[in-house]
Amino acid sequence: MEDVYMGIDVGSISTKGVILTKDNRIVASAYIWTEGNPIGAVKQLLHLLEEQVSGEEYRIVGTGTTGSARQLVGTVVGATVVKNEITAHAVGTTTFHPDVRTILEIGGQDSKIILVENGVAIDYAMNTLCAAGTGAFLSSQSNRLGIPVEEMGEIALKSSHPTQIAARCTVFAESDLVHKIQVGHTREDIVAGLCQAVVGNYLNNVGKGKKILSPVVFQGGVSKNIGVVKAFERQLGCPVLVDENGHLMGAIGAAILARRSKKRKEFSFDIEDMEFITREINCGGCPNNCEIICVYRDGQMIDSWGNRCQRGDAAAKKAARRFSEEN
Amino acid sequence: MGEKKNRKIAFPMVARYNEVVRYFVEQGLKQTYIMQPPMTRHTLNLGVKYAPDMVCTPFKTILGSMIEALEAGADTLIMVFGYCRLGYYGELAETILRDLGYEFDYLNLAEYTTGKSKDYLKALRKLNPDAKAVPLGKAGIDGLKMLERIDTIESLYYQNCGFEITKGQYRKAFDRFMDDMSKAQKGSDIDEGYDRCRETFDSIPVDKGPFPLKVGVLGEYFTVMDEFSNIDLEQTLADLGVEVHRWMNVSNRNLHYPGEKNLNARIREYCTYEMGPTSTANIWYAKDCAERGYDGLIHVKSAGCTPEIDIIPVLQRIGEDYKIPILYLTYDSQDGSAGFQTRIEAFYDMIEMRKKVIH
Repeated sequence: MEDVYMGIDVGSISTKGVILTKDNRIVASAYIWTEGNPIGAVKQLLHLLEEQVSGEEYRIVGTGTTGSARQLVGTVVGATVVKNEITAHAVGTTTFHPDVRTILEIGGQDSKIILVENGVAIDYAMNTLCAAGTGAFLSSQSNRLGIPVEEMGEIALKSSHPTQIAARCTVFAESDLVHKIQVGHTREDIVAGLCQAVVGNYLNNVGKGKKILSPVVFQGGVSKNIGVVKAFERQLGCPVLVDENGHLMGAIGAAILARRSKKRKEFSFDIEDMEFITREINCGGCPNNCEIICVYRDGQMIDSWGNRCQRGDAAAKKAARRFSEEN
Repeated sequence: MGEKKNRKIAFPMVARYNEVVRYFVEQGLKQTYIMQPPMTRHTLNLGVKYAPDMVCTPFKTILGSMIEALEAGADTLIMVFGYCRLGYYGELAETILRDLGYEFDYLNLAEYTTGKSKDYLKALRKLNPDAKAVPLGKAGIDGLKMLERIDTIESLYYQNCGFEITKGQYRKAFDRFMDDMSKAQKGSDIDEGYDRCRETFDSIPVDKGPFPLKVGVLGEYFTVMDEFSNIDLEQTLADLGVEVHRWMNVSNRNLHYPGEKNLNARIREYCTYEMGPTSTANIWYAKDCAERGYDGLIHVKSAGCTPEIDIIPVLQRIGEDYKIPILYLTYDSQDGSAGFQTRIEAFYDMIEMRKKVIH
């Protein structure tokens, strides 16, 4: 029986999972869409992972969760470690690329930059309140152009004169894009222009004031877009490395963090058959009216969060009693 | 302002300082003080509803807490001023409140900024024409003493509460202290409450280890001091196991300020001119923390705070020169807390892992 570690990364767009041995070998991995249902996605993900390790002598002794649904999913799978995605990405990447100095990451909803020195993160930044320079920008524009987002990169490579698009703001970019189409720019040039716009926005927002040193590793869903990779290389003037497992790096980092932690708890795939329900309640203890999320497993409340003071715990307990009476 | 004998005076909510104003109004002006409820989402929503959208968040919370004070029965409001847009906020808040139909007397201290004590006395006499200079002076001195005590206790609290062996002991002592301040009637009450809290603090066992993580928190005057506005930033950090240091408070910035010129001399390599109401102090403090070997800095501002936006490039240079990580947080009235939690946790992980490599 070999001890292994599982990492799950549930983002706004995609859900990723890996099972990792203690010498960093990936024995199972999966990448699926979250589709607004993190619990359903995780159940499906676990099913895919289970298939890949069935019949093998593995025992999952630690589980880490990360991504924006990390707390919810951590509760559902009984995680031993729940970590933010910035730390998970930094840990995952520095394990596989110990000499990395800059990590560029563009996901569906957020983008970040992590600067590394001697194998540890020394500075990071993350986008705020704005979709410019994220995958959401590319996917909304690909919809408008009627091109699958996965094909944008290849199309962009065919362009020799990328169109300049006023892309500081996603909303205004759309009107400029329409204008450029109407005056006769080719599709290739426009797609290449969009890829450059993402890079320009990224470097002007999260990358502002950061010293980007080589080696540079680029990851997150958008790193699969070769047009964006080439645009980064052109603007930074250095090679940009995309790891074949770059899209899994958050999950890998979570698995490594679970391994580093002293906490051990054997994971069982049984939870695929359990029913999990979340309910949002408003505390009502004071005018702050905190939104509290309660998670139930087969009718029993297993966790709640969101309250800023102890009054919320009482409100959650009351909600749990009401929930069990109703069901 | 009309002649009125018995006033019910209120002051917008500012961090933990309302007890100081209460003390001065009751003991010096001999008037009733109205304490509005602590700030909540409701306060901010009131401000958002009636304030211009692009104004900074502190104006919205101040306006909201003024409305809550008027609803709680206040008939006289006092408003402070400052050297940024805060200087205009008194006038703007009054106009908005009067447009909403509230009736109240208003003392906007921005109209008395000569710096001469004679003029301040004139302002205070408006609140009570019979107020005598001697009790006013006595209450003023005691009030300032309370203010310094609150700042001292608060800063000790955030430096230590993350390391207590039994969770909650520091909070209990701190709450008791604030309760004592809210009941203080004379100078000795303040001293007794303070001494008791200091003694309790000293007796609480803590385990800091040889190299506790130290983070300096700096930034915009209001948001950095007010825990409602910065969504419990200092408590969040302390709970992760960090010694939280903050220079910016009313004692340091207003009572014992070394002076613009003196501070500027200490940061000559970074800036030549005065940049704003708290900019020089924040740049100096960032450099000071870096020189003391702190593990990180967190810069706090509300969205649209121009003076604090201006100092970011200087802070970036300090970060590079001293190799100290800096996290920049911008608070907007529309924010949820999840994004801040993620960023603060990631920042903590980063400085903690970095420290392990260094030591």
